[in-house]
Amino acid sequence: MGIGDLGRAAAAEWTKLWSVRSTWWCLAGTVVLMVLSALTLGGATATEMLRDGGTASLPAGEPVVSATIFAQFAPVAAAMLMITSEYSSGGVRTTLQAVPVRGRMLAAKALVAAAVAFTAGVVSGGAAAAAVHVVLSGEPFGGHVTLPPVQTALDLLGVGLFFALVSVITVGVGAAMRSAAGTLTAVFMLLMGLPLLLAATGAPPALEVALRMPLPAGLAFMGSTDNPTGGPIPYPAGEGLAWLLAWTAAAVAAGHAVLRRRDA
Amino acid sequence: MISLRGLSKRYGDRTAVEDLSLELKPGAVTGFLGPNGAGKSTTMRMILGLDRPTAGTALVGGVPYHEIRHPLRTVGALLDARAVHPGRSCRAHLLALARSNGIAGSRVEEVLEAVGLADAAHRRAGALSLGMSQRLGIAGALLGDPEVLMFDEPVNGLDPDGVRWVRRLMRSLAGEGRTVFVSSHLMSEMQLTADHLVVIGRGRLIRDAPLAEVIADSALTAVVVRSPHAGDFSVRLAAAGIRVERSGENELVATGAGIERIGDLAYEAGIRLHGLRTREASLEQAYEELTAGSVEYGARKAEA
Repeated sequence: MGIGDLGRAAAAEWTKLWSVRSTWWCLAGTVVLMVLSALTLGGATATEMLRDGGTASLPAGEPVVSATIFAQFAPVAAAMLMITSEYSSGGVRTTLQAVPVRGRMLAAKALVAAAVAFTAGVVSGGAAAAAVHVVLSGEPFGGHVTLPPVQTALDLLGVGLFFALVSVITVGVGAAMRSAAGTLTAVFMLLMGLPLLLAATGAPPALEVALRMPLPAGLAFMGSTDNPTGGPIPYPAGEGLAWLLAWTAAAVAAGHAVLRRRDA
Repeated sequence: MISLRGLSKRYGDRTAVEDLSLELKPGAVTGFLGPNGAGKSTTMRMILGLDRPTAGTALVGGVPYHEIRHPLRTVGALLDARAVHPGRSCRAHLLALARSNGIAGSRVEEVLEAVGLADAAHRRAGALSLGMSQRLGIAGALLGDPEVLMFDEPVNGLDPDGVRWVRRLMRSLAGEGRTVFVSSHLMSEMQLTADHLVVIGRGRLIRDAPLAEVIADSALTAVVVRSPHAGDFSVRLAAAGIRVERSGENELVATGAGIERIGDLAYEAGIRLHGLRTREASLEQAYEELTAGSVEYGARKAEA
């Protein structure tokens, strides 16, 4: 028992993941969305800095981190399909025949989704940082964009970890919801809809909750100054990671509870 | 190898399987029969740990399915041939299964060869015909070289060659000492394939007996007697409590007694016989008698 069995289950998930085209599309989508979003956001910031004058610099990692607000849905889609496509095709029954311990099946999917999303985050973030540096560091943008190596590397690791954790959240929600439509709606609401809605109420307690939902928590963890709910994030990066991990654990627990209780 | 004890499954107030107890023995093909909705698939899913029984237990080799460390090496099952991601190739589908249970990758090519899909190894599952999907499903069941095999309607969609192939496969798997449990609606096929039958209706066990016994017990299994004294003999038989029908001037059909008893009665009465033979009911007829009261989704007979 133990790690060997989990390893075999993960190897099976790995084989399945790369044997369907949707995975490749989702990963290509991650790169495209990261590059385009980072260029747009970075371009806007650089233009603003140019207009304001001054000598402040814009590290390329900054718009890259902000780009995850939009690009996160590509790794989310890849993670979602790992589980919802099995329910739509009925293949989950074959999967559970091979790996009947439900928690192990879920852990294997979460592990593979996390590993792939982490890599996708680092690689697509790297491509986006490079694109931002190449396109925006030139003269028309005033030369504010820089590419500090250590800071950029840390930003990319942060993006990778954020993508990994939202992917695990998606696997958990997918196991609980089973359908692609339900999962996508639930994950979108959790990541974007609810924080925006709560912030829109303007009520301070609602805003406090909004700031601790996965996306603001992730942005805080990645050291972003951007916050889709508006206003500064009133807690340090470490606490952001803690909130994000708490959400991840809750989503996996929900998925596991449903997997154990409901018939396949 | 498979033992069910008091296995029950209820969905709300609908009972799918009710207090089912069975022992499936190795070295035989056990046919699993019953009308649509009788609970056959639900029973198989409970054996595989996919559905949780409301009551009772299903054990494979003495343990619940989920406690088997490499279940595909113990139990191979085909439930729904179409339940494969349509975009995944046959080979990748089997390779993932092999990896999950520590089965050598070379087994994938072996089983693809064995089911006749070697040339379709790289075809996507969604592009397969129903018959080819069944073959892929059977390949998946054979992958771990398991002692127990379960097939839910395996000949669905197969052409006559495929049907014969499945029949020979089941026979040879049982011949190797494996436990083979197979559901089907095709009675003529079951009659040729099964050694033992389990018949359920409305979730309850109706019959658990060797095929030969089920057929022998049918009311339509009869003894046909040819005799120049058919008239006299029918009176003697009726007096002995045996149901008799005249089927011709010199011929009668007796039901409710074996051929030995009829022969002995003729001898005792000193009646000359020109022919004495058993006319066996088909499994289809025997099955219809058994399940007459439990067809859940049967079409209503049109009023004459």
